[in-house]
Amino acid sequence: MREDLFTSPAGVWTPISPRLATARGLVGSACGLFLVLVSLVLWLQLADLVDGWAWLLWLPGALGLALTAWVWWWAPRNRRSWGYAEDEDDFVVRGGIMFRRLVVVPYGRMQFVDVQSGPLARALGFGTVTLHTASTATAAAIPGVPLDEATRLRDRLTDLGEGHGAGV
Amino acid sequence: MAPASEAHRTHPLSALLQGLIWGAGVAVALAWQLLDFDDLQWWALASIPAGFLGGLAAGYVSWLFTRYVIDDAEIRVERGILFKSSRRIPFERLQSVDINEPLIARLVGLSELTIEMAGGSDSRTRLRFLTLVEARRLRRLLLTRAHGGSPRDETGELPPEEQRVVLHVVPPDQIIYGTLLSLDFVGTVLATLGSVVAAFLLEDIGWALLPLILPASWAVVQMIMTRIVAQWNFTLSRGERGLRIERGLLSRSSQTIPYDRVQGVGVVEPIVWRRYRWARLDVDVAGYGNPGESDGGVSTTTLLPIAHHDLAMRIVEELVPDPERGTTEPVRPTHRSRLFAPIGWRYRSLAATAHTVTTATGWITRHRSIVPHHKVQSVEFSQGPLERRRGVASVEVHTPDGPVSAQIKHLDAAVARTVTFEEVERARLARRTQPPLAASSADASIAPTISRESSQPSGSTTFRGEP
Repeated sequence: MREDLFTSPAGVWTPISPRLATARGLVGSACGLFLVLVSLVLWLQLADLVDGWAWLLWLPGALGLALTAWVWWWAPRNRRSWGYAEDEDDFVVRGGIMFRRLVVVPYGRMQFVDVQSGPLARALGFGTVTLHTASTATAAAIPGVPLDEATRLRDRLTDLGEGHGAGV
Repeated sequence: MAPASEAHRTHPLSALLQGLIWGAGVAVALAWQLLDFDDLQWWALASIPAGFLGGLAAGYVSWLFTRYVIDDAEIRVERGILFKSSRRIPFERLQSVDINEPLIARLVGLSELTIEMAGGSDSRTRLRFLTLVEARRLRRLLLTRAHGGSPRDETGELPPEEQRVVLHVVPPDQIIYGTLLSLDFVGTVLATLGSVVAAFLLEDIGWALLPLILPASWAVVQMIMTRIVAQWNFTLSRGERGLRIERGLLSRSSQTIPYDRVQGVGVVEPIVWRRYRWARLDVDVAGYGNPGESDGGVSTTTLLPIAHHDLAMRIVEELVPDPERGTTEPVRPTHRSRLFAPIGWRYRSLAATAHTVTTATGWITRHRSIVPHHKVQSVEFSQGPLERRRGVASVEVHTPDGPVSAQIKHLDAAVARTVTFEEVERARLARRTQPPLAASSADASIAPTISRESSQPSGSTTFRGEP
């Protein structure tokens, strides 16, 4: 039933790059690894001092491992929840697992389109495409769009925006 | 009349006025910082007039280096000595032009012109100060240009000041009653009185409450100032291009809201006001943004501070064509949403007409948001984890930032989805029938004005609301 609710009527959804999940997994793993290292250092330095309670020093590490596991479980699911559809008159973006959101943006309302890409995202070849209308509430950002697709999307949306131009 | 592209200066007196404002500011700040009455230093005393003179000089210099140029496509404002700034405002980006007369300027017959563009917090340009006649002439010119008109006909004359029809003058007593009966005012007054009484009861340590009493009393005074004084003589009039708001007892302000720049209208009915069927109207105009907290209920987004509900609805009709016609059966939240709003869920609804979508919410203060379909920016359909468990979802119709927010929470999930795509469809149709409003040919958007004009045959009547 959920899937039914968050589809577009004309619905051909373009999924986003699986590499987004990889990138998020890597970032999560890095954080996890850092916590494990913190535990290791703490254990090496303080194990003698807190005799008997030394296992407590491994809590950050355990947390780090749990975080890593959770990120690798969550990221692909979150990735799959994202998608966009280019309907005849509107652009439709959906995303989120816990907080699901579907935004319909008419092409004519688009003021400008941003493509952003950090160093890791660029290395993996994807970026975030953000649509801006005169309303800040629109906030339609699509993470994990492959870079060439992102550029195509930006140009196409800009063209469509001009074609449908409806002013403010 | 001067050629179109000649650089103009603001009125020479603005040097003095701006200087006085800055000088007084500097002098007060210095006095606050430096004066120590136990141990008066000559340099501290001397620095105050020096600071004042410095402010005066700064005012003169800033006047000397401020110029504005109007040519065929834009108005340009140039400022600054070391850090030059030049702002270009293309006519088609203009959202609204306001004239303010702060008290000190009004005393010498000067006024400030504020030009609003869409976007950002820095989208406001002020020209201070001009003579009132010059400010009006400029506003007329800018507004004509903004609507794609030629600034002058063959004879080289500006179009004459258009005929305006006064729609409503809010009677001062109604503004006073409205303020006295508003919840936050009553709350602040009670808090102030409470702390005064407490101070008297706690004789010995009562003075300790002074830091509480002073700001509270100040808040009361400020509320009276901003609401009653600033909205004195609130006059709403209609012209060919838009509504005009004129208000103020000491400082006057005059604001023009072009019909085609209205993004949405909000009808607000606080609980006490409903007894008398009073309402307040807010308006969303791109560029005005959200009213700040400090405004205390008065801001550029107030379309009508207080009026009888029926009158308010007639004003809404001025801006939004046929807000009632073809009303669909209102969509309401299901009883499953009681968890989220035990009382409020009964008061939420969404209905659409041929031209607008209307949402209602709130049971203490009732808010109604009316958004024309052809102004809808985007439509959002969302569901949080709790909502999913209850099988409900929310719909929000996005409008440019401002006081109007059309959303309905916790509809039945399937209904919410239908509502979302119905609204998308209606907005699409509205954009089609509405000739696309390319920024440069804003004339196309007068279309709704025509239907409105015909529905108002007796255009010169002034109607007043009965309290």
